[in-house]
Amino acid sequence: MDFTPSELMAVSGARELKDGQIVAVGIGLPMVASFLAKKSHAPNMIILFELGVIDPEPIHTGVGLADPRVWYRAKTHSSFVDILGTVLHRGRVDVGFLGGIEADPFGNLNTTMVGDPKGKFRHMVGSGGANDIASCAKKTIIIMRQEKRKFRQTISFVTSPGFVNGGDSRKKAGLQGGPSRVITDKAIYGFDPETKAMMLVSIHPGSTLRDVTSTLGFEPIVPPHVPFTEPPTSEQLRLIREVIDPERMYME
Amino acid sequence: MKKLCSLSDAVASIPSGSHVALSGFAITRCAMAFAREVIRQGIKKLTISQCVGAMDTDLLVGGGAVERLVYGGGTLDRFGRLACVNAGIENGSLSAEEYSSLSIAFRYLAGSLGIPFIPIRSLSGSSLLSRLQEQSQPHAAFINDPFTGDRWLVLKPLLPDVAVVQVQTCDEEGNAWIMGPKWDSPEQAKASSRTIVIAEHVVPTEMIRREPERCVIPNLLVSHVVELPFGAHPTSLYREYDYDADEIRRYVEAAKKPDSWKTYLDKYVYGVKDHWEYLELVGGLRHLRSIQADPILGY
Repeated sequence: MDFTPSELMAVSGARELKDGQIVAVGIGLPMVASFLAKKSHAPNMIILFELGVIDPEPIHTGVGLADPRVWYRAKTHSSFVDILGTVLHRGRVDVGFLGGIEADPFGNLNTTMVGDPKGKFRHMVGSGGANDIASCAKKTIIIMRQEKRKFRQTISFVTSPGFVNGGDSRKKAGLQGGPSRVITDKAIYGFDPETKAMMLVSIHPGSTLRDVTSTLGFEPIVPPHVPFTEPPTSEQLRLIREVIDPERMYME
Repeated sequence: MKKLCSLSDAVASIPSGSHVALSGFAITRCAMAFAREVIRQGIKKLTISQCVGAMDTDLLVGGGAVERLVYGGGTLDRFGRLACVNAGIENGSLSAEEYSSLSIAFRYLAGSLGIPFIPIRSLSGSSLLSRLQEQSQPHAAFINDPFTGDRWLVLKPLLPDVAVVQVQTCDEEGNAWIMGPKWDSPEQAKASSRTIVIAEHVVPTEMIRREPERCVIPNLLVSHVVELPFGAHPTSLYREYDYDADEIRRYVEAAKKPDSWKTYLDKYVYGVKDHWEYLELVGGLRHLRSIQADPILGY
């Protein structure tokens, strides 16, 4: 069956979500992953947008969380203090999705700047709710494209902390949770339970181990046996293509 | 005291150097007419705060009105970056204190409650925090919980001089309804010394009394009320009008280069005497009707 890397990323994200979970979502692939889970195996999952939206059912795609298209048919319209405060900060969010311009082996993410923070740099988006989700969700899932310049041993700015310097350094910084998966267009990674460094979990069909390691700026942990990622089902592809993102707004 | 006034009178009440909290979020419910009038009146050296940086802030920065920005990052969603804000940060002309959405919201919340600081789980272990700690008078510090002994990051309150909040409906006293998600608007208004409400519709107080549960900003917080149709244009106002994609694209294109940006300001800000002339410039009633919200969809 034909599918694009973005479709496999969305499906892989959806598979990480369980029915009944509370999930903090941003625009793009995380939104496709969440709506896909909700429309298939997780109908009772609750979707949150940071600005104050609970459980929307959009019928049109939006340009961002600020687009009223993605608030359509929500059950609650409230506020940052309500969603990020009384739900996320209170410890009720099971899964948060994150993306980044740069990531390091411990799942720390940069969305703030590229270049030299003390010299010449280009300022990008910053945090929004990303740092809050990275700090307060029970676990996070990172979804981003895999390129050498994006996955680096050292990143120029940590907007959203993952496992900080590895080991127990996240705990020492006073943070619970942490990233559980990194989903890219080449593979899926987890984190080593001891060192908290990125560890290969599965390789997407069509990619080789060499494709995977040659597009990372560091060496991931590679277990002796690495399976291929399960491909999307025809029903998952139909939902993505016909129901969730018919205009290919989120899938690139 | 009569609060209902013109946009220019409301803006004239803000001295240069004030701290202004703005109600925009990316490309929605932005105080755009307000920003254009601030630039026309030549108000300078403002401190702007906002949970998520939006088009109202970007225009004010591009118009030379802002000295300092306290925010949680931001974009114009798919339309592009906050080009004026980012350029100011990159060339050092704008002093920016960067947080996350919740840490700004909590700073407003602390301000609204009149408490001296607020504990937060966010920011720890990030470069955002190390940057904030490098400041000469940091607004972030660590303390020990007097009950458990646990170490907590605490933030100082934000206490803006004035909140400028774009809403759908209010009365002449400033009792305001906000339809749709409210992001940081309620805490902005409550933390600030006073609030300027800019409403699409000013209705009789009797209507407010009939549905008091809808009131988000009570009149006791409000100093000025401005009735202004399409005051958030080209950003959206939920249940009133959609964002004007072509106009936002024009803005984003113009903000890429100093020359085209100057032309943009000359045309859309300095080239018009007031908001009414601006509405004619962008296409008048015929065009504005085309972005009016569908009553069921809200956009």
